[in-house]
Amino acid sequence: MSEIKECDLPGIGKKFTLELDSGDKLVVVIHFSGEREVFKFMKGSDEPGSVTTLSDEEARQIGSILSGTYFQPVLEDEQKLMMKNVTMEWIKITDDSTLANKKIEELNIRKMTGASITTIIRGETVIPNPRAGEIIKPHDTIIIIGNNDQINKFISTFEIKQRIENDRQ
Amino acid sequence: MIVNESVLSLGISLLALFIAGLLATRINQSLTAVFIVVGMILQNFFPVTIITEFIATLGIIFMLFMFGLEFSVGSLVNNQRKIFFSGIYDLIFNFPLGLLIGWLLGYDLIQSLLLAGIIYVTSSVIVAKSIIDLKRSANPETEYILNVLIFEDMFIATFLAFIVGISNYGQIDAKGIFIVILKTSAFFAFFIVLAKTSKKFVNKIIDIEHTELFVILILSIIVISAGAASYVGLSEAIGAFLAGLLLSETKQRHRISEAIKPFQQFSTAIFFVAFGMSIDYKHIGGMIPVGIFIFIISSFSKVYGGYFIGGKYALSKRAGLRLGLSLIPRGEFSIILAGAISMNSSVPYPIKSLTGVYVLLSAIIGSIVMKESDWFIKWFIERKDTEFKQTKKPLQGQLL
Repeated sequence: MSEIKECDLPGIGKKFTLELDSGDKLVVVIHFSGEREVFKFMKGSDEPGSVTTLSDEEARQIGSILSGTYFQPVLEDEQKLMMKNVTMEWIKITDDSTLANKKIEELNIRKMTGASITTIIRGETVIPNPRAGEIIKPHDTIIIIGNNDQINKFISTFEIKQRIENDRQ
Repeated sequence: MIVNESVLSLGISLLALFIAGLLATRINQSLTAVFIVVGMILQNFFPVTIITEFIATLGIIFMLFMFGLEFSVGSLVNNQRKIFFSGIYDLIFNFPLGLLIGWLLGYDLIQSLLLAGIIYVTSSVIVAKSIIDLKRSANPETEYILNVLIFEDMFIATFLAFIVGISNYGQIDAKGIFIVILKTSAFFAFFIVLAKTSKKFVNKIIDIEHTELFVILILSIIVISAGAASYVGLSEAIGAFLAGLLLSETKQRHRISEAIKPFQQFSTAIFFVAFGMSIDYKHIGGMIPVGIFIFIISSFSKVYGGYFIGGKYALSKRAGLRLGLSLIPRGEFSIILAGAISMNSSVPYPIKSLTGVYVLLSAIIGSIVMKESDWFIKWFIERKDTEFKQTKKPLQGQLL
């Protein structure tokens, strides 16, 4: 890792130079007009090997891709994993939840809603395909699977308030 | 009738500028040179009218104003050491040369000083544009080129105030120099103090939403500053420049630039045309050899000076040569200087015509040299390398 060198170009803009580990240099010039130019200098050369000119907007897009903050808008908006007709939903169990402190078999989830519990996340432990005798505890996170109707039915039947907005990693 | 004719001739000039400019941008030539050529051609069809002359005067004022407005005091302060040293080297290599040539041509001291300024100052407009067009803004030598340009422009702005003041005083003696320097520094000091102390006040005054009134207010500030400078015997241009510097520190800077730019572009173009029209064909034949001579000598000193600066700042030979080869074009400031002083006609080489030839040569050839510098550098470095090997070989033999 090396530091970024900054330099004024009076009348043109500002120049930022980054020396890469490979010995090549990457130079970004931000013009007063907002235009960006990205130059690549090969190791030891003082003439650029390639130049790319970007508008202000393009530069921001590229910047967000490089810094890893760029997401597809569909994923970002819905924050659900969409498979054809199947939805998975993350649900946090609160203290006063009707699901809390009950065995899965007591709840008759499959029969009443059509959805089923695939996973229980309890603190650091993850229980995939929990047995029918497993007890759901407060502060657990459960993952249920079903089509949209079944999920909605699950949510209304058990009066779920706290759905998890994309906490899954 | 006179008014009608001069309006028509102005219109024709503008149309000619447009067509010539269009062709020039096709072949990547500088507009400055083309506008002067248009002026030289147009003088065969109609004379310089009062209207053209008036607009040309405004052209200088607006050009210097915009220059002051876009001048980055911040980067001047940040890089003052680098700017100062590269600027001084460039000055030492190129300014005395003009004095010497002026003396050889039989000019008096004021005229020689003027010629020195004309030969010394590289066109920042042409060079900066070429750097951007040729995608060289990231090159290692570019920041040094720009530092030299910023120093030259500051130097010439001050020099302009001085030389016009001296010329108005009439002769160079201790008393004259003293008076002119006093006036110039008082004028500079007034604006600097105003900029430092009354920032809020100035900001408040020019914070006007009404577009039309805003333009009128800014124009009045520019013209009053220019007029005041002229009134105390300095150049109008320097007044406008300082007004630009003053307003460059305000929040409205961008808006001012947008508002004044069309005026500036229009009047500056006319200024170049008027200059071209004032070049006398009678003299031009005799000026061409002298112009070529000065061009060759001064190009060598510029390139060598640039190469020297590159060496001082540990640039590679290639980058150093590119630095030097980028400093050849002369343009706007040389022309402003040439028109700044009215000279008596007994001078052997009329400075306006000489400057015309010189600026045309250096602007056109200088732009081409910048673009084609690669093969020259290659040739130069290869030649140096073979020379180096030849001298080195026997030495190695001795060591072995």
